Amino acid sequence: MTMLRFEWLLLIRSRLTLAALIVLSVLSIFAVARGLHEVARQNAVIAHLETLQKNDMSDLAKAYGPEGDAGYAAYYSFHHTFDPPSRLAFAALGQRDVLPYNLRVRALGLQAQLYEGDIFNPELALPGRFDLSFVLVYLTPLFLVVLLHDLVSGEAESGRLSLLRAAPKAGIALWLRRAALRSALVFAAVAVPFVAGAVIAQAPVAGVMGGVALIALYVMFWTALCLLTAAFGFGSRINALVLLSQWVILVLVAPTLAHIAISRSVPVPQGVDIVLKHRQLVHGAWEVPKDLTMQRFFHSHPEWKATAPLGKTFEWKWYFAFHHVGDESVAADVATYRGRILQRQALAEGVGYLLPSVGVQAAMERLGDTDIRGYLSYQDQIKTFHTALRRFYYPYIFNKTPFPEPEYAKVPRFEPRSYGGGIGGFYLLTLAALSAGLGGGGVWLMRKRIV
Amino acid sequence: MSRVLTIALNEGRALLRNRTAVISAALFLLLSLMAILNAWDQFRYAQGLRQTYQSEANQTFDAQPDRHPHRMVHYGHFVFRPLNPMAAFDPGVDAFTGQMLYLEGHRQNSANFSDTRQNTSLVRFGQLTPAFCLQVLAPLLLIFLGFGVIARERENGTLVLCLTQGVTGPQMFWGKALCLAVVAGLILLPALVSLGWLATQAMLGWGLTLAILTGYVLYLLIWTMGIVLVSRFARRGREALLGLIALWAFFCVFVPRIAPDLIAHARPLLTQMETDIRIHKELKAMGDSHNPDDPYFNAFRQKVLKSYGVSRVEDLPVNYKGLLALEGERMTSALFKAYADRNFGQQHAQTRLMDGVGLLAPVLAVQRVSMSGAGTDLSAYQAFLEQGEAYRFGLVQHLNQLQATALTYADDTNKARENRISHDHWTNYPDFVFRPPAMAERLERLSPALGVLALWCGVLLGLGQWSALRLERLMK
Amino acid sequence: MTEMQQGDQSAILRLKAVSAGYGRRTILNDLSLEVSRGEIFALLGGNGAGKSTTLRVLLGFLKPSAGEVTLAGQDVVADPAAARAHVAYVAENVALYEHLSARENLAYLLTLAGVTAEASRIEGALEAVGLGVAARGQRLSGYSKGMRQKTAIALAVAREVPVLLLDEPTSGLDPRAISEFHDLLDVLRARGTAILMVTHDLLGATQVADRIGFLSEGRLTQVADKSEDRSFDINRLYQAYQTAQPGQVA
Repeated sequence: MTMLRFEWLLLIRSRLTLAALIVLSVLSIFAVARGLHEVARQNAVIAHLETLQKNDMSDLAKAYGPEGDAGYAAYYSFHHTFDPPSRLAFAALGQRDVLPYNLRVRALGLQAQLYEGDIFNPELALPGRFDLSFVLVYLTPLFLVVLLHDLVSGEAESGRLSLLRAAPKAGIALWLRRAALRSALVFAAVAVPFVAGAVIAQAPVAGVMGGVALIALYVMFWTALCLLTAAFGFGSRINALVLLSQWVILVLVAPTLAHIAISRSVPVPQGVDIVLKHRQLVHGAWEVPKDLTMQRFFHSHPEWKATAPLGKTFEWKWYFAFHHVGDESVAADVATYRGRILQRQALAEGVGYLLPSVGVQAAMERLGDTDIRGYLSYQDQIKTFHTALRRFYYPYIFNKTPFPEPEYAKVPRFEPRSYGGGIGGFYLLTLAALSAGLGGGGVWLMRKRIV
Repeated sequence: MSRVLTIALNEGRALLRNRTAVISAALFLLLSLMAILNAWDQFRYAQGLRQTYQSEANQTFDAQPDRHPHRMVHYGHFVFRPLNPMAAFDPGVDAFTGQMLYLEGHRQNSANFSDTRQNTSLVRFGQLTPAFCLQVLAPLLLIFLGFGVIARERENGTLVLCLTQGVTGPQMFWGKALCLAVVAGLILLPALVSLGWLATQAMLGWGLTLAILTGYVLYLLIWTMGIVLVSRFARRGREALLGLIALWAFFCVFVPRIAPDLIAHARPLLTQMETDIRIHKELKAMGDSHNPDDPYFNAFRQKVLKSYGVSRVEDLPVNYKGLLALEGERMTSALFKAYADRNFGQQHAQTRLMDGVGLLAPVLAVQRVSMSGAGTDLSAYQAFLEQGEAYRFGLVQHLNQLQATALTYADDTNKARENRISHDHWTNYPDFVFRPPAMAERLERLSPALGVLALWCGVLLGLGQWSALRLERLMK
Repeated sequence: MTEMQQGDQSAILRLKAVSAGYGRRTILNDLSLEVSRGEIFALLGGNGAGKSTTLRVLLGFLKPSAGEVTLAGQDVVADPAAARAHVAYVAENVALYEHLSARENLAYLLTLAGVTAEASRIEGALEAVGLGVAARGQRLSGYSKGMRQKTAIALAVAREVPVLLLDEPTSGLDPRAISEFHDLLDVLRARGTAILMVTHDLLGATQVADRIGFLSEGRLTQVADKSEDRSFDINRLYQAYQTAQPGQVA
């Protein structure tokens, strides 16, 4: 304990170390503040749109209510679907800046509506967001390199190494203690702001613990890499070069290569195909005998078979039927499209087992539920809602029940999906094993080479 | 002068004999090569795909059977954003912007199916393209190769040795700078070849190619000077290395992330949904064509009747429903345009702020030069959206015009009658052709950034000479 | 008076009433010192006595606040670059390029000094300092300090400079290398080179130097001349060395 206190004194007297730790803390605090702010902004946008939507709906009710035609109500009324950020989203904003989290849908064919995007400035989206996951994945390793690259070599260069070697008990334990203390402080510089942010955001305890574990393991991984590099006994300059090269490869280069490899090995069938096919089906319906369309609709909705047959003029039930048949006809393509995107995501997460930079980024986004998986489950929620919406209107349309103004209040309301994020225990274990392996290798090599 | 050359050559020999330098340079060249090949391959794939889609969309549109023209208005059309061959060099915002625009009457859809929507977050780590290599990795390589040019000579004592041979501070400084600048030139070479090749493919023109080239030359020169300067002020090689890495992380990683975040926050954009709701509301406030008592459309009807000198819409020589459609589309499109202009204005204000930050971070300035030069920037994308909207408006009005002239009002209001007109009317409608922003416009957009880079270069060169004249003071 | 004039004629390295320092801290205090052609002058003194400062003033890196400094008649203060053409300097750690061989080091540094780097000149100089032929093409990273020193001195030989400044030349050398080094200095002396060496090594200085000066608080407290005191009484000089170091108990 006294030794640790001695190390602590050494550390706080080193201006470089102290400055590095302060800068990292400031960056983390700033990132957490930005994240919380962005989450609050997204929630405010959702609330604002919800109000707008409510007003829009009551205007609609006033305009079409007197006519009482459910067809018009279903055709003209849009419904607000939204995907509020999770309580842990502040730590990893993920893809939420480029993937829409608000979408208006109506009871028409969903596939023509589902892929609409929100307005964003692509030039600003280009570099990615500044959030805690960025500070952790990109910047924290750099700080660890600065603090740990001269762990052993610094002693050798200042001539104290032989002095230290003369005390065999000190030996490696000293460096381990020093590395542990420094990386513990780096961990604290990132984790404390994270926990504070989580408390402010009222995040679930399990998720916060998962996040803390992730931060700890990523710091451990880089510490282990620093130890291993130090064990080779190069000078401080070479150590710094080697560690920085590892950083460049792990954080900058390997992910881009992985991206190329994954995009090539899993070609995603173009979403465009779905939309083109869907349009052909929906608009082609005007040329197809109406009874054929109805037969196809009744196949999945037998409960409406018994309703009155179609007349010669335009009827809403046929209109909504062919929209739904259009959706049904592309269902298989939609499933493939979605499956391939998930396959890509799974592969990217697999790459994360080898590249902790990618893995931790993905895990942080999974924890915040802000990745493409989160987006796809938002799409699922939209689908569920859309089904409920159709099924709500069908009785009015097929039975030709009037739809006066009060009925508008009965329209189903969108329920946002529940938090689907989390952290993979297996991933944490793998990362721990990887760090332990590298660190153990480093200690073994140090023992062999130095003592 | 010959001393400057001798020093530069000696430094070059030192680099060639430095295994870590050679390995890192080789790795960089390998990455550049991979970036070029991959970018070109991806480009050909994506371009082929989009061309196929566009011609298919054109064919299906042309092949639609005889129909009521208003059905065609709802059937609509698809246009695809053609890929610019320069996107293989610098994809810019390409991955983030929609590739496909669905054009239909009454509605303005967003461009959909951007790459980011069907990809993992890996894409956010950046894409391995020649531009990424030059903007982010090349400075890092230069740092690895050059951090010690002066600091290590000072640390080892060879700096004194050289000075005691009669070498002056400026000779020493510029010799080192010359060597590193030549290395930077070599780094630029493969990217340069790919730039030249792609620029001919894209028929970019000399002006823009030269502008992009100048941008990168200035950018790497800025780093070269920065590295030699830091190396001159650092006491040890390691100090220089850590200091330069801190600078690099600040300029190339930190600023490009933090600046857009703060700007997006300071200048928020209207959401798509709110835009839609507002347009719908304003439209309703202007008039409702379905309401027989609507003042706006009543006035419109009176105006039409007066101009044809008749008293009833049934007596008009044209189909009044078609005229109503024309008027309705004109009104909605005017609103679409107003909101699009406002939205583009907001985005340009954001972009201008980013360009302002470029004064502080040369990497942003070189990104501007590169993207705007290549035509993969926000403006090029907006040009696609604007031309798509113009095409949509033209097409819809063409169809509405057909409704007004090729159908009679009596037929069109007869609900029991199926009204169809010959498909020749739309088969011969011209296809969509995208015209990228003109060279002069792009040059104008990128030239301030080029000026910023030149300014940085000038300041650093001046600072270099100032510090070089004082190099001997280090020996005190 | 006549002695001074005689000194004027043969002295090629001259410091006359030089004061110098950093900021307000004065290190050299009215220091006068001369070294003639073919003379080895050993400058001894404790830490902080001003030995390194003397070298910096001579190399023109530090401008004296008062006094004159000349090398081969060239005013160092007025034109340090021109004065450096007459001087070779070997630092304590014998700074040379590790990634170059002895030949390459010489070729490069000779070019920098504005001397044509002919192979014959380089080989001749390396021969003169006694660096083995086999070693000449090898990179310096494998050299011992003695070999490095030979290379550095070969540079002075090849440049044919009249003045050689040596900073702690014998620290870290083994006895055999020291003896070889002393032989080398004898050769240079015979060629007429004026050598000023800064050292801690009193014994070594008595063996090779013609004169030994003791520096204390920026001035010469005593100069022993071999021509006057042929045996260089080591005990007496040791006394002088001790007294030249303030605050140290003899």
